[in-house]
Amino acid sequence: MNLVTAERRHFEDLALGEVVGLGRITVTKEMITSFAREFDPFPFHLDEEAAKESLLGGLAASGWQTGALTLRLLTDAFLSRIASAGGLGFSDLKWKRPVMKNDTITGTARIIELRRSRHHPQWGVLTVELDMRNQTDQPVMSMKLANLVETRNAGTTRHEQPAQPYDVEAGHEPGDTR
Amino acid sequence: MTRWFEDITIDEAFPLGSHTFTEAEIVRFAADYDPQYFHLSGAGAEYSHFGGLIASGWHTVVVGHRKMVDALEAEEQRLRGLGQEPGVSGPGAGVNRMEFKSPVRPGDTVTYTLVVSAKRPSNSLPGWGILTNQLSAVNQHGEPVYHAELIGFSKLRDFKMPFRLRILEALTKVPGLGKLLNKRS
Repeated sequence: MNLVTAERRHFEDLALGEVVGLGRITVTKEMITSFAREFDPFPFHLDEEAAKESLLGGLAASGWQTGALTLRLLTDAFLSRIASAGGLGFSDLKWKRPVMKNDTITGTARIIELRRSRHHPQWGVLTVELDMRNQTDQPVMSMKLANLVETRNAGTTRHEQPAQPYDVEAGHEPGDTR
Repeated sequence: MTRWFEDITIDEAFPLGSHTFTEAEIVRFAADYDPQYFHLSGAGAEYSHFGGLIASGWHTVVVGHRKMVDALEAEEQRLRGLGQEPGVSGPGAGVNRMEFKSPVRPGDTVTYTLVVSAKRPSNSLPGWGILTNQLSAVNQHGEPVYHAELIGFSKLRDFKMPFRLRILEALTKVPGLGKLLNKRS
């Protein structure tokens, strides 16, 4: 029994196609330079004059900071409200446009895949597609992020489990009726 | 890599160094970017299947990026020391995949290695090459922490701009005309 996640939504409570709206964050100069000093110390993330001379044309956040802020928005709106059991990673991350000083970013997370772990009945794998935008609705970043989620029937043995909604490993797609 | 595109060798392991993660920095990163209960102190991490506090995967990734930036800077200094002009690295374009393999706990030391697995001249950005970078992170027990495939840019040394593009570049410097041309592209 996980006392922290007991009351949260579990794997079975999530629906394919569900769209989660994220909050918004305004990225200040101080946020950009303090992240850059620690993790991405290129002059165009640290110094406004150097940034003006660079390809970016002004002080811009590290792409990794845009990713980390997206994670923060996803955690607040979603991951801290479900029985998350940790991240598995991400794929197809594309930085589409730099996030400049005083830009405000927000976005959506859409559930594009839900499948049970074949070897760990206590977990399901959740994949969300993130579409991040700036204050003028221009795309700044997109990615697919995969996360483990606790199932409610973790204690049951394998053959007592209900029929699987679908099994990607066996090549079946959502919507298959078997 | 801070080498010219032409000088980048495929499948050469480029050590990026190590980092030891303290509990204080794990919690500080999580408070800002990933405040899930297994990344924070006193929030019930012991109830998770990890059995205690672990670092956010993204924290281990951005530290890996820092190690790469530092290694590029050191390589640049090394090349200058040899009397050579270093190449130019471009911004990251994206991440094909990032797979977290095992958790990082307070006190763990993670060692990072970069390998360029493929390179080709860019079609859309004349004068630049596209690199496929493999970044791997392992802990002090030799267990993989993550593996990533990233896309980066590196400038071509021997690039000669085609005549057509040189004309276009000259035209963009004509007052008024540059704006018009930029709008079209």
